[in-house]
Amino acid sequence: MIIRMAKVEIVGPKQDLLSTLDILHSRGVFQPDPQLLERIELAPADRLQALVLDEHDLRERSFFQGLFDRVTALLDLLPEAVHGTSALQPLPVMDLLDELVDQHLAKARQQALMLSDCRLEVEELQHNLVFWQALEPLLASLPEDSNLELFGITIRDAQQLQALEELLQERTRGRCHISTTTTSDGALIGLIATDREIAVSLRQALTDERVPELPLPDELAGLPLPQRIAALRQHLQAQAASCRQIEADLLALARRWRPIYLRAQAWLEERLTLYRATATAYTSRLCFIIEGWMAEAEVGALCDDLNQAFAGRVVLEQQAILEEDFDRVPVMLRNPGYFAPFQILSSLLPLPKYSSYDPTPMIGLFFPIFFGMILGDIGYGAILLLIGLFLAKRFPPRRLASDIGKVLGVAAIYTILFGFLYGELFGDLGESWLGLHPFWFDRAKDILPMTVFALTVGAVHILLGISLGALADLRRHQPRQALLKLAMLIAVLLMVLALVSWFYPQSWLNTGPLLVGVGILMPVLIAAEGLLAPLELLKTMGNIISYVRIMAIGFSSVLLAVVANRLGGMTGDVMAGILVAGVLHAFNLLLGVFAPTVHALRLHYVEFFSKFLDLGGRRFEPWHKRPS
Amino acid sequence: MEKVWIAFAAALAVGLPAIATAWAQSRIGAAGAGTLAEKPELTGAIIILVAIPETMVILGFVVAAMILLM
Repeated sequence: MIIRMAKVEIVGPKQDLLSTLDILHSRGVFQPDPQLLERIELAPADRLQALVLDEHDLRERSFFQGLFDRVTALLDLLPEAVHGTSALQPLPVMDLLDELVDQHLAKARQQALMLSDCRLEVEELQHNLVFWQALEPLLASLPEDSNLELFGITIRDAQQLQALEELLQERTRGRCHISTTTTSDGALIGLIATDREIAVSLRQALTDERVPELPLPDELAGLPLPQRIAALRQHLQAQAASCRQIEADLLALARRWRPIYLRAQAWLEERLTLYRATATAYTSRLCFIIEGWMAEAEVGALCDDLNQAFAGRVVLEQQAILEEDFDRVPVMLRNPGYFAPFQILSSLLPLPKYSSYDPTPMIGLFFPIFFGMILGDIGYGAILLLIGLFLAKRFPPRRLASDIGKVLGVAAIYTILFGFLYGELFGDLGESWLGLHPFWFDRAKDILPMTVFALTVGAVHILLGISLGALADLRRHQPRQALLKLAMLIAVLLMVLALVSWFYPQSWLNTGPLLVGVGILMPVLIAAEGLLAPLELLKTMGNIISYVRIMAIGFSSVLLAVVANRLGGMTGDVMAGILVAGVLHAFNLLLGVFAPTVHALRLHYVEFFSKFLDLGGRRFEPWHKRPS
Repeated sequence: MEKVWIAFAAALAVGLPAIATAWAQSRIGAAGAGTLAEKPELTGAIIILVAIPETMVILGFVVAAMILLM
C-alpha cells in the first residue's frame, strides 16, 4: 500500500537552522521540497529568499571542505588493513587535526611515491632475473672468449626469430651466434653472442628492427657475465627489503591514525551535508523555513523531538495537501506480511503516483491465481512448493531469493489446487496410475469451455480494473473522468453480455437491447473523449480476449506433459522410460515456471493496470545519516 | 477434401501469426539485449516486452482451434 504522507512546514529562528537540520538528518524521516515554498506569499518586508550563508558559516564550510579533501586524500594512501573507527569527538580537536593531516599527508605521499618506485624496480628486476636465469644454460655452453659481447633479447614469435636470424646473418656475415629458450612465464628469449668490434652496429640494427634488448641496471651492466645473475639476485633482495620496510612504515602510520581520520572524515561529511542541506531552506529577516514531506505516522515523533531540543522555538506544522501538490507528493510503498514478497514483481514497474494505487496487493491477489490456472498440475505444483519452501527457509527474510521462494510457494499452492480441478498429475499420469479425474475441466479435451472460462476471468479482471480507475478519479476529485470510466464500464459489460447471448442464447438475455444500450452510450463516450472512444472500447475488448492465453499456454503445458508420458511409455524399458519422461517433464516444468510467470505478469502490467494505474511517482528519499 | 481445406485454414491461422510473432520477438529481443547491456535493471521489463507479441500467435491458436472444433 502507498504510505500516507504529510506535507510539513518547519519554522524557527535563523540561528537554530543547522541544529534543526542535524535533527532532521539523524531522524531520517524527512524529505525537503524547496519548490513548495515558492508558492508562499508574504508581505514584502518578510519576503522569503533562498538562504545565503553568512561570512562565518562560509569560512567554516570552506575550512571543513578543505580538511575533508585532505583527510580523504590521506585515507586513500593509507593501507586498508586497519578497520574500525575511533570513538574520538573530532570537533574539539579539529585545529590539531588540521595541522597533523598536513604532516601525515606529506609523509604518506613521500612513502607512497617511494613504494611505487621500489615496486616498479622489483618488478623489473624480477623480469630480468627470469630472463637471465633462463639464459644461464646458454651462457654456460658458450666458449670462454673474453672478446665476446652478449645481447639478451625478447622475441615476439617464431616468425620474428626467423627474420632476426636472417638479419644477423646479413649484418655480421656469420660472426655471431643466437641461442633461444623459453622463460618460466612462457616468453621466448634469445642470447646473441658476437665480436665486440661489430657489437655497436649490431645493437643499432636491433634497435632499427625494434627488437627489445633487455637492459640491466647500470651498476650490473659492467660486471663480468657469471657475476651478473648473483648480483641481480642480491639487488632484488635489497629492493624487496626496502619495499617491505616502506610498507611497514605506512602500516604503522595507518594503525595509529587511520581510525581517527576515518572518524573525522565521517564527521566532516555529515557536517558538509548539513551545509549543503541549507540550500533547501528559505529565510525571512529573522526566521528560517523548510517545507517537505514525511510519513504522516512519523509527524508526532518528530514534533516531540523538535520541542524537546528547542523548547518550542522551532515549530513543525502539518499542512493540507492541495490538489496541485498531488504530483509532487513522494511515494513510499510498504506492504504487510503476505503481500511484502510480491513487491519484487511490482518493482519491475515505475512507481505509481501518490493519488493512484500500489499495484502490489493486486499482484499478490491475482498473480498466483493466474499462475495456478495456467500451470494447474498437482505434480508440478508439489515440486515448485518444495523449491519455494527451500528458498524461503534457506535465505534470510527480505532477501531476493527468500521473496522469490515465498511467491513461488503461494503460486505452487494454487497450481496444486487447479491441478485437482483439472485432474492433472504430471499430465495424464494421475489418471492412468491413480485413477484421478478432473473435478472441473479436462484441459486436454475441453478447449472451448476452457476458452470461455479464461475470457470470463479476463472480463471480470478488466471490469474490476475500470472500476478501480473510476474510484481513483473520484479520489483525485475528477468526477467527469470517473463518470466516463463508469460509462465505459457499462459499455464493456453490455458488449460482453451481447457476445454471451450471441454464442450461448438465453431466454432472459437478448442481444438486440444490449447492442442498443452500447449504441446509446457510444455518442456520450465520443462527446466526452472524442473519436478515440470507440477505439478505446475495442481495445478494452481486445484486452479481455488477451486473457485467452490462460487457456492456450495451459493447453500447451498439459500436451507437453502428456507427450512426455507417452514417449516414456514407448521406450519399452522402465528405467529408460523414467529417464525420457523425467527429462521432458523437467523441461516442461522449466517452461511451466517461466511462461505462466511472464504471461500472468503481462496480463497485469498491460491489460489490468492500464485501466487504473497512474505511474510516474517520485520515490520518497528522506535525508538520513550514512550508516557508520 | 473439405477436411483438408479446414486443416489447411487452421494451419494458416496459427502459422502466419507464429511467423509474425517470431519476427517481432527477434526485433524486440535484439533491442532488449542492447538495452540490458547498458541498463541491467530493466531485465524484468524486457522479458515482459518480449512476451507481448505472443498475443498474436495465441489468438491465432484460438482461431485455429475454433476452425477445427466449430
